[in-house]
Amino acid sequence: MKRYAYYLSCINESMTKEVDRSIGLWQKDLGIEFVKLHEGTCCGGSNLDYVSPKHFALVNGRNIALAEKMGLDLIVSCNTCLMTIRSAKKKLDEIPELKKEVNEILKKEGLEYRGTSEVRHLLWVLVDDVGLDTIGKKVKVPLKNYRIAPFYGCHILRPSTVLGHDNPRDPSSLDQLIEALGGQTIPYKHKNRCCGFHTLLVAEQESLNVAAEALQEAIDSQADFIVTPCPLCHTSLDGYQAKALKQAGVERSIPVFHISEMVGLALGYSAKELGIKRHIVG
Amino acid sequence: MTAPTDQHREGKKDVTFRIFRFNPQVDSKPYFDDYTIQVERGITVLRSLNYIKEHIDASISFRAFCQAGICGSCGMRVNGLSQLACTTQVWDVLAKSREPGIIKVEPLRNLPLIKDLIVDMDPLVDKMKHYSNWIDSTMPESSMGKKEFLISEEEFLRYDKATDCILCASCVSECSILRANKEYVSPAVLLKSYRMNVDSRDAIHGERLAELVKDHGVWDCTHCYRCQESCVKSIPIMDAIHGIREDAIELRGMKDTSGSKHAEAFMSDIEKKGKLVEATLPIRTNGIVWTLQNLLPMAVKMIMKRRTPPPPPLVKSAKGIKIFREMFREMTEHVRQDHKSHKK
Repeated sequence: MKRYAYYLSCINESMTKEVDRSIGLWQKDLGIEFVKLHEGTCCGGSNLDYVSPKHFALVNGRNIALAEKMGLDLIVSCNTCLMTIRSAKKKLDEIPELKKEVNEILKKEGLEYRGTSEVRHLLWVLVDDVGLDTIGKKVKVPLKNYRIAPFYGCHILRPSTVLGHDNPRDPSSLDQLIEALGGQTIPYKHKNRCCGFHTLLVAEQESLNVAAEALQEAIDSQADFIVTPCPLCHTSLDGYQAKALKQAGVERSIPVFHISEMVGLALGYSAKELGIKRHIVG
Repeated sequence: MTAPTDQHREGKKDVTFRIFRFNPQVDSKPYFDDYTIQVERGITVLRSLNYIKEHIDASISFRAFCQAGICGSCGMRVNGLSQLACTTQVWDVLAKSREPGIIKVEPLRNLPLIKDLIVDMDPLVDKMKHYSNWIDSTMPESSMGKKEFLISEEEFLRYDKATDCILCASCVSECSILRANKEYVSPAVLLKSYRMNVDSRDAIHGERLAELVKDHGVWDCTHCYRCQESCVKSIPIMDAIHGIREDAIELRGMKDTSGSKHAEAFMSDIEKKGKLVEATLPIRTNGIVWTLQNLLPMAVKMIMKRRTPPPPPLVKSAKGIKIFREMFREMTEHVRQDHKSHKK
């Protein structure tokens, strides 16, 4: 059983609780254990970094130090948390004075940021550590009748200087996971585009336009559903779907799943167990 | 389509350039023309286009000048990605082509099309004018030419990368928000604005910033990083965008726009609870009236599905919040000291 420290993203603690619920169901089936970091705090959601770069370094240096104390890698299931915490790690590793300043303060809690734990996405753990073959062998209900649109989202791909797992121009890890679960991926131009989430409250029209384009391409391509590794993309594409498509004059709809739910379905868990009924689009 | 042959080992390939064609004076809609030519290793997309124009079809239109990645004229989409034709190697593109042996060449996005691969740069230039993308000197005109304007190394480093921009408009073409609304300021103009704003010789910093925080300005960016990823000069454009936001918060406070209020919510929630209180974020960003008008039907659905709690939204603090708060406030003290000593 390989163990990991699991970062609790704010959105998965509130709006998208089904993500962590799903992971909780199948983690042992795949021989992995995610130890929840209850002491972890909000990463700043790609905002704290410019509001106060030093608080950003402290907060995320601490999040990583908590995992380091346990001697485990830090696993994240939200793209923006991933990008944000990795950006902080990059800064702390590159700027010794910043690391020193952060560590002076972290001493209070008996913590130290050393830079020994990696910060990785759930998707990467599934593809690289568990392995596609192992996942394939565990599948009980292959997704063979489904045409699936893989929506990666931005912050698992860009900036590539911080992420660096997939080619941001032509990513493949999510496609591979879908295929390992027996599903069929469709060619999807929006796979590496944006969902508009980060401007939902600031430039709503623009944000909904961005989401509508991604939804429309999946609908036009006759996908059965969209799958995403990010709960923020999910919120934009599922929660705001009706509004986005209404604005675009599209009268159809398409379900959107998290990767954790897609894995759960293929491993034989029911939609009810996985919390899929919590989605806005049925 | 050309099957792999001995040509490959010899460093020559037959390549089909599938070129976007549209002349609004003649054509009712755009179409593609295929031109197959033999290309040697080391040849760029621009040289191939020049060859096709000279030897096969003189009617193809595209812009190009320096052929060395300096002037920024030949921005276009090669196999879907905005880049300079003159610095893009045909063989590199072929290696990643979905359709073997075929390279699709299209005009940049998000700017009006003039003909074939040529787009109208005027909207971009107009925005540069609107956001005063130049230095309005602090030096009185009478003193100009009489004394030097010395810039410290430290200051220069703040805009060194930003000055590399050659206005090729690749970032403009890739921008998610510009695709959704052509009024948006655009990444290239934000980059230039940042570059001017951090220059101590500039006298209109405050006015430029006031314009940048308005609608269609710096707060509309959705952090997708497509601009940065496509920059032909590898400029960290998002650092510039975040730099303007940081500056706006410092100089204009955190209450003057919905963007800054949204950002402030993260800072205050983290300090208080260690967690973001998402349920009240719309109200804190845009006020109660906007939230009721825009989000009420959806909020009801979200509450019914238990995606968001019914009011009051209770969020449990992170474990160990007391000591976390102490550390957070200690860093606030550090930041205060930094500001005092002008070291950020």
